Amino acid sequence: MVNDAGQLYTIEGVAAAILLLVTVYIVLGTTTVFTPGDSHISDLQLVQLGDDALAMMDTPTQYVETYNISTEKQSVLENDIMNPTAANLTNFYSNLTNYLNVKSVSRDHLNYNAIVWYRNSTSNSTGNYQFNSSSFNMTGREHYVRVTRLVYLSGLPNQSPPNPSPTITSLNPAMDNRPQTVLLDVTIWRD
Amino acid sequence: MARLNEDGQWIILMALIVCIALFFLAYLMNESVLVGKTTAESALDFPKSDIRDIRSEIIRLNGLGSPINTSIIQDIKTLSLDQKNAIVTINQNPPDTPTSITFHYNNGLLQYDETIPL
Repeated sequence: MVNDAGQLYTIEGVAAAILLLVTVYIVLGTTTVFTPGDSHISDLQLVQLGDDALAMMDTPTQYVETYNISTEKQSVLENDIMNPTAANLTNFYSNLTNYLNVKSVSRDHLNYNAIVWYRNSTSNSTGNYQFNSSSFNMTGREHYVRVTRLVYLSGLPNQSPPNPSPTITSLNPAMDNRPQTVLLDVTIWRD
Repeated sequence: MARLNEDGQWIILMALIVCIALFFLAYLMNESVLVGKTTAESALDFPKSDIRDIRSEIIRLNGLGSPINTSIIQDIKTLSLDQKNAIVTINQNPPDTPTSITFHYNNGLLQYDETIPL
């Protein structure tokens, strides 16, 4: 004789089975991201940090008042690229490393390498020279990000930054001696 | 025939509720792996700082003397194309005594146009 007692238990059993199956399906279907999921997040933070640091250094701290308008004075960044003396390069180094490595507890370990891109107006081609970098040992496995900043120069930089060869006047293509905009290109990575 | 014992229904009901709660937590974990990654990727792809940089440079140059020297504008165009893979055009309207500057930016992912009043 068929007994219809315990119907509720059957329904419950079916519901539990469906729940288990769907849970197992979701667990097995969870996306595995083979590159570390947070590597893009730290990249983004580095880019933002670098952009902000360059923006701060390219912000004039003073304005010149003329009769009806106030004009920006040369920013620290413009001055450093225009006059790459040892003192100014030290200044650039300490500014940028301080901005990049600021941390509430201890200092971060960020390194950078800065190069300057310029345009030769005769051939409309671009060239670059190394401007400044932090002291580091290259491993070739740096996970770096790149940030850039357009910088106005009133002419040819007064001298070659210490070390790089060729000198500023013998670059190929030649760097023009005219008011110009150059691109400061900074790669940043964490040691 | 042995009768089914219906004691403990509440315990079973609670177990069901806990199961459903766990299920939703598992689902959230499933989604969360992708959230930080995709958000950071799209933020990295978006050339926010490049556009701001060009904009601030235009205003800086205009402050130094209006109209802006065309060879400096060509510097920005060439350097953007060579180094940032972006097509930039900058127009001063009217060219001799500009009252506004329009600039166009396109790096293949994003096209942006802006008119800067002077």
